[in-house]
Order: sequence, then C-alpha cells, then structure tokens
Amino acid sequence: MNKDTLPPEPWSRRRFVTTVVHGAALASAGALTGRPALAATGNDFAYDVSRFSKTDPKLIAWEEVSRRTCPVREARRIAFGPGDVLHVAAGNEIVRLSPDGNTSRFELGAAVFCVAVAGDGTIHAGLRDHIQVLDARGNRRAAWEAQPKRSWFSGLAVGENDVFAADAGNRVVVRYDRSGKVLGRIGAKDAARNIPGLIVPSPYLDVDIHPDGLLRVTNPGRHRFEAYTFDGDFEAAWGTASAAITGFCGCCNPIALAVLPDGRIITGEKGLARAKVFRADGTFESVVAGPESFAAGTKPASEPGDGMRGGLDAAVDSRGRIHLLDRATAEIRILQPRARA
Amino acid sequence: MNEPRREPVSRRQFLRHGVRLAAIAGVGGLVGALAGRTRAETTVWQIDPAKCLHCSNCATHCVLEQSAVKCVHAYAMCGYCQLCTGYFEPEPNELTTAAENQLCPTAAIKRSFVEDPYYEYTIDEQLCIGCAKCVEGCSRFGNGSLFLQVRHDRCLNCNECAIAVVCPGDAFRRVPVSHPYRLKTDH
Repeated sequence: MNKDTLPPEPWSRRRFVTTVVHGAALASAGALTGRPALAATGNDFAYDVSRFSKTDPKLIAWEEVSRRTCPVREARRIAFGPGDVLHVAAGNEIVRLSPDGNTSRFELGAAVFCVAVAGDGTIHAGLRDHIQVLDARGNRRAAWEAQPKRSWFSGLAVGENDVFAADAGNRVVVRYDRSGKVLGRIGAKDAARNIPGLIVPSPYLDVDIHPDGLLRVTNPGRHRFEAYTFDGDFEAAWGTASAAITGFCGCCNPIALAVLPDGRIITGEKGLARAKVFRADGTFESVVAGPESFAAGTKPASEPGDGMRGGLDAAVDSRGRIHLLDRATAEIRILQPRARA
Repeated sequence: MNEPRREPVSRRQFLRHGVRLAAIAGVGGLVGALAGRTRAETTVWQIDPAKCLHCSNCATHCVLEQSAVKCVHAYAMCGYCQLCTGYFEPEPNELTTAAENQLCPTAAIKRSFVEDPYYEYTIDEQLCIGCAKCVEGCSRFGNGSLFLQVRHDRCLNCNECAIAVVCPGDAFRRVPVSHPYRLKTDH
C-alpha cells in the first residue's frame, strides 16, 4: 500500500485537548488586540480623540518659560497694555498683572468678556452688550451705548482711532471711533459685497489689527480666519476644518487670535486645546502648545451660565513672547521660541 | 353595693367584634399604604446636566432592556452647526449622513438641512440608548445643547436606581414630580 494513501492517524485525547487549549488562547489574544479602543478606555461608547491629543514634537517650536495664575477663576480674555502689563477679563473684573508681579483689580459690576488696551493705557472692557472705558488708573470714564438685544461681545481690538468689538451674538464686528460712536458693522452676510458672513455657533468671536493694515477676524463656524478692511470689505480667508494639527477642529474653531510683531498669526482652539502659528498668508508654521500641555484644558462638563469657559486665548508682549490663557484653570503660560539645535 | 355583673360575651358577639376590628384595621392599613405610596411618588429620578460626565453608564446600567435615559436637545442653545461634533465622528470622511461618518452607534440623530450653512439635529428616542457619546462630542467642542434626561414615560422610578448607584458624577437626584425634568435653556 502506498504511504500517500494511508488513512490519517487517529487523534489521541491528549493531542485533542492540547490543540483546543492553544486555539482558545490564540482566539483570546486576537480578540484583545483587535479592540484597542475598548482596551484603552474600557468603554464601548467612548468619544475617542486620543489620536489627536499628542503633537508631533518636531512641530512644537515654542517652549514654556514661566507660568502665572489669574487670581479670578473665570478668566476669559487677555490683552497687553503699555509696559507689558497684562490685562485679564475675568469674572466681573479687569485684573491687571504687572511684569514685576503686582496685581490690581477693577470691579465692573457685571461679567467682563473681553478687554483691549490702547497705547495711552486706556482700558476698553467688553461686557455682554456694551463697552466700558477706564483710564490707565482704572477709573471708569465712559459706558458706551448698549448694542442690540442679542449682543455678546467676546473680542476687542483697539487702534489709533478705532475700537473693534467682536459681537458673537449678532455675528458682526462693530467698529467704533474712540469716543464710542458706531462707524460701521463688519462681517455681516452680504452677497453684493461678496461677504460670506460670520458663523458663530458658540459665543467666541475674536478680532485683531494686523500690521498690514487689515483686520483679522475669526470665523469659527467656517473654521478659518478672515481679513477685512476697516470699512468692511472682505479681502481673504484661510483655514480648513480638520482635527489634524494643521486644521481647526470641532464644530467651531479658531476661537482666538493674536498677531506677532512680524505679522504671523497665533490661533487658539477649544475642545482640543491647542495654539498654533500661521504665516500672514495662512500657511501653517508651527505649534505653540498642543492638547497634551493642558491636562484640564478642555471645556468643563456642561458648564452652565457662561459660554466662554473653555479653550485658549493668546496675547503677545513687546518681546514677542506668547502668553496663553487656559480658561479652564485661569493659568497664563509664557512661551518663547525654542532654541534651534 | 355589689357591682352589676357583666353579661358574658357570646360567641356570636365575639365573632362580630372581631370581624369589625379586622375591617377597621384593614381600612387603616390600606389608607396608610396609599398615603405612603403617594409620598414616595412625589419625587422621581432625574439627571442634573451640570454634573453629568457623559460616562455611558446610563446605557448599560438601567434595569430596563433599553435604558430610560435618552438624549434630549435644547434647540435654543444649538449652533445648528454644519460640522456637528455630536453627530459626526471626530474626523469624518465627509460631512454627509453616510453611516461611517456618524458618531451615534444606533443612528438615532437625524440631520436635516435648514439653510446654508445650518443644519438641524433631532433625536429619535426609539433608537437612542442613552450612551452619551453625542453629549460628550457636543459638550467638548460645542455648546452642550445635547444632554441626557430620564424619560418618565419609560422610567420605573425604582427606589434604588441602578444607574444612580454607579453614576461617577453623582448627577442623579430625586426631583419633585411636578418638575420632573432638568432642562438646559441658555448658554
């Protein structure tokens, strides 16, 4: 009889049991490795953004040099005044933090959502529907006329002759002269002027004046920042919606912007708390700080009553250092360019 | 003077008194039980949205086969976003209703166009399992207009709510039956 045609050897009991045990072990290992998300979180229903919460170290071009904490927890916006004095819109106050460590506080009687300081030290504080003006000593000088019912001022910029107030509720930037007279409204949808309109799903809208003479305005619902003339002509827009580091994540980002002396633009985001630098033409350049830098840097769970409690705000001092406000902790981080190897 | 002798209680009288006493005790017990039950049902279980941590225990720990906890939507708070983080996966392939782009494991959120670039999102309660995945997405990036509530047309109002026992945010509480929901209304 040919060996190839011999019937297979019958399985012994030992061989059968050994094979079954090996098979079960392999199947268990396969099941475990095949469910990394569940193994990592222990939750089948986890909202998993962990793959976006680590930043490639090669992209981070800034390093933290120091940190300070605003004495008022509900810190929302920061802006520099003369002498590199940092002004914080926090709670119902303007908190002034000097470089020498001194602190002064000015109570305004209602929630302060944004702040900007003129070259002469005049403080402009944005309350929900109007702007209050304080002199450099913190004495109240004026309260400008309240804007329409839905107003929610969330960003301010002050120039030589103008004050620009980002009104998230009405989705416009209100242009004032320095006496508080309204000169115009910028960013409202207008097909005739080719203005697409600002989309502001949550009360975060920011504005700054660029060295090129144009305004930069966040358009969080369209995931980009836009350039306008002071008269409201729409000039350009940059940005893409993406959780990837070069884009703007979630439903509505960026929520903050600041301008470096050379014209580069810093953006701040919420949800995934991260700050990045873009060239003036909108090209992504580097990361200032990624989500891994902010353990509690996301929005507190279902925080009631205040739409501006999450994410980051940014300001730049006279030395070109970036100051990042983490709204969740009221901490201000000071960062400088990382020394090249 | 001798006291008058009491008439001996006959068996019939004894039985009659006994039955009467039992009836009174029964009625009293019934009234007491009803009063107690009424008192217990003056409160019901509800979730405080400000304390909810979106942990998904509501989907897995309710004694009902499908949880009595459902996602509800505060339209007054909604941004009507084109890229709704309660509806879409964190990095969707595209902003369409294709299943692979949707966050909800049961496709319980319906997306409908309003006007460019706004969309409305509605919850299909028959499909919602209360897992809070959308709640986390909406709260993390957006306004938190999606949130969880115990639906009282489903809840059995257990004395010891199985979800409340494991709730890590201590968000479950007894609320008056006259105000059975804790709704968000504003930013």
